[in-house]
Amino acid sequence: MKDFIEYIESSCSGIADTPTLYRYKKKILDEITERANEITHSGLKDEAVLCDLIKDEYPDLQEGYKKFAEEERLKKRASLMRKLIAVGSVAFLAIIFFVYFAISFTTRRWDITWLIIVGGIFALVIYLLSFGIKRLCKMRRVFHPIARILIAISIMMATVFIFLFCLMLVPMPNPWTIIPCGIIAMFVSDAVFAAVTRQKLAIINYLLYIPASAAMLYVVLGAQSVVPWTPGWLIVILGVLADLAVMAGVIINNSRYVYKQEDDEWNED
Amino acid sequence: MERRLNAELWDKMHYLFRDFNDRMVHVELKYDYEIDIEALKTVLICFFEKAPVLHSCFVDNHISTHWEVKPYHIDDVLTVSYPEDVDEAVNDFLTQYIPPDADIQMRVAVFFKDGKSTLCIVENHMCMDGGDLKYFIKALCRNYSDYVEKKISPVDLRTGSRSYEEVYSGFSKTEARMAKNLYKNVNSKDDHAFPLTPDNIRDKSFIARRKIDSERFAKLRAAGKKHSATVNDMLVAAYFYSLYELADFNVYDSVSISCAIDLRRHMDDVSDTGITNHTAWMQCRVPERGKDIFETLKYTVRSSNKFKKDKFMGLYGLPLLKLGYNILPHTASEEIIKIGYSNPLIAMSNIGILEADKLALAGNEPTDGFMSGAVKYKPYVLLSATSFKNVLTLSMCVRGNEEDEKTVEKFFDLMEKNIDTLING
Repeated sequence: MKDFIEYIESSCSGIADTPTLYRYKKKILDEITERANEITHSGLKDEAVLCDLIKDEYPDLQEGYKKFAEEERLKKRASLMRKLIAVGSVAFLAIIFFVYFAISFTTRRWDITWLIIVGGIFALVIYLLSFGIKRLCKMRRVFHPIARILIAISIMMATVFIFLFCLMLVPMPNPWTIIPCGIIAMFVSDAVFAAVTRQKLAIINYLLYIPASAAMLYVVLGAQSVVPWTPGWLIVILGVLADLAVMAGVIINNSRYVYKQEDDEWNED
Repeated sequence: MERRLNAELWDKMHYLFRDFNDRMVHVELKYDYEIDIEALKTVLICFFEKAPVLHSCFVDNHISTHWEVKPYHIDDVLTVSYPEDVDEAVNDFLTQYIPPDADIQMRVAVFFKDGKSTLCIVENHMCMDGGDLKYFIKALCRNYSDYVEKKISPVDLRTGSRSYEEVYSGFSKTEARMAKNLYKNVNSKDDHAFPLTPDNIRDKSFIARRKIDSERFAKLRAAGKKHSATVNDMLVAAYFYSLYELADFNVYDSVSISCAIDLRRHMDDVSDTGITNHTAWMQCRVPERGKDIFETLKYTVRSSNKFKKDKFMGLYGLPLLKLGYNILPHTASEEIIKIGYSNPLIAMSNIGILEADKLALAGNEPTDGFMSGAVKYKPYVLLSATSFKNVLTLSMCVRGNEEDEKTVEKFFDLMEKNIDTLING
């Protein structure tokens, strides 16, 4: 035990003596003591060897301290953020309700002021989801599909709000076209996510999203009379062609990495 | 707190081989010296702590697999005894089986008699292959000597990643990507088998060995040079020819022998990798027996040269296995892999040289030693070859009966005869 304390003290000499350093030293000492007990129970009798073995497992305590201090800093920040978010969310909701009642009582337009509540709640949910997405992106790849689902949910919530807003306040033809626009945005964001995080088999996503987005774009532009229905359908064909181009690009790119083994001599025979 | 280790691709593959062999790797080293048991215990504990996979149990919950680190006592690892008949004790010890769900994956024994010691090691192939076991025993001997002679703590054992992906570390980015695209299944089925009796519940594991003395081994090497063949080629050619004779295969039949390849050849530096498996197989094939053993040798050299020319020798099929294990639950992936995988009926593993100077314990070189692969279940066989002080040891571990033992002995007789023919040709 004395040897371990001396090792920890000498390894950490030069680091400013702070409560963080004390906590780090305490944590390391606890770990080392537990490991030493474990190894002693395995039958090791030579204390010098035990000490060297432990030192070998903890070769750089200074570097370990840097990581520990950084982790503590991040933990503190995360804890503060959690508190701020909780208080902020409640305050935000209170403000939203205050604004809603204030405007509703002033204008007597109860038929449209409910949009304030919906918009406020949607904005809060999207904001909270963004924290979840950020955290999931830092985790193992197996958790990335959850992040992708949350992004899709966020985009659809924003789309629904825009749709309701336009329906109530903006006179426009066929406001339902906002929904397919939202779906296109969802596909684009998912494709970008797959590309940025280098998801495996992302190509399958691209190949599905391109024609689906093209079809929706055709419907949106047609419904908004931006493009006539005929020959607007060419957009769908263009989508399929873009798919084929992507496929050809991938095949050409992959062919650079195909290793051609020499023919089997026996087969030649 | 429970400690878990990743079950790597080769761990899972060797686990899948449970239907074909007992997955044990064996080592025997004889010393004219009494090993210091307390020192050996100290070294072993340090090594077990540095390589926790050696005191872990393999957990297969059908969905996924992992290693769970377990507490152990060195007395469960190391057996010390003073038997009357050392050979019998060694054979009994070496033919034991360590189940993957046991708490320790390596057992060591020291048998003392008349001031001499025999050090035996048995370990689960899922933890490491012959290449790393050779490194392990050399490190064991070096650390033991340093501890006994200089009181240096025995903590000098490589640690690091056990992942199969380390084999790509020596490649450029483009080459690594090419290698990771090798989805080809290189397994080809060959029904030619070693002539063993059918399975029987009375079968027992045995290790048959045959030594080729240093004089003959030197001549074999010299003869190999004459024919532009390596020792491995010479042995494989003798193996082929002996099989044709022993099993009475049609001389016009094409026969294949799977030879173990150490994938570390693709790695520039292994110093930061942990003890693990990096062994694949290449199928050495002859189109026919040939009119004599020299023609068999010609075919063998041609076949092995084809592999040697291949930059990605042994790396085929690894991405396919990875994909298989990644996309499905463990039990399902095993079933899928079994469909595409056919275990070679006849195989050979040239473990190579056991360097006496590097296996010295406190300055005492071993007087004899050998290493061998797993005990194969019939009809599968594996011929292991090691050389020690220029003496070649051929060994075959089989679970069989007395008749099988006689067949294996007859096979060794034929091997000797054919090696002599190669030498004198």
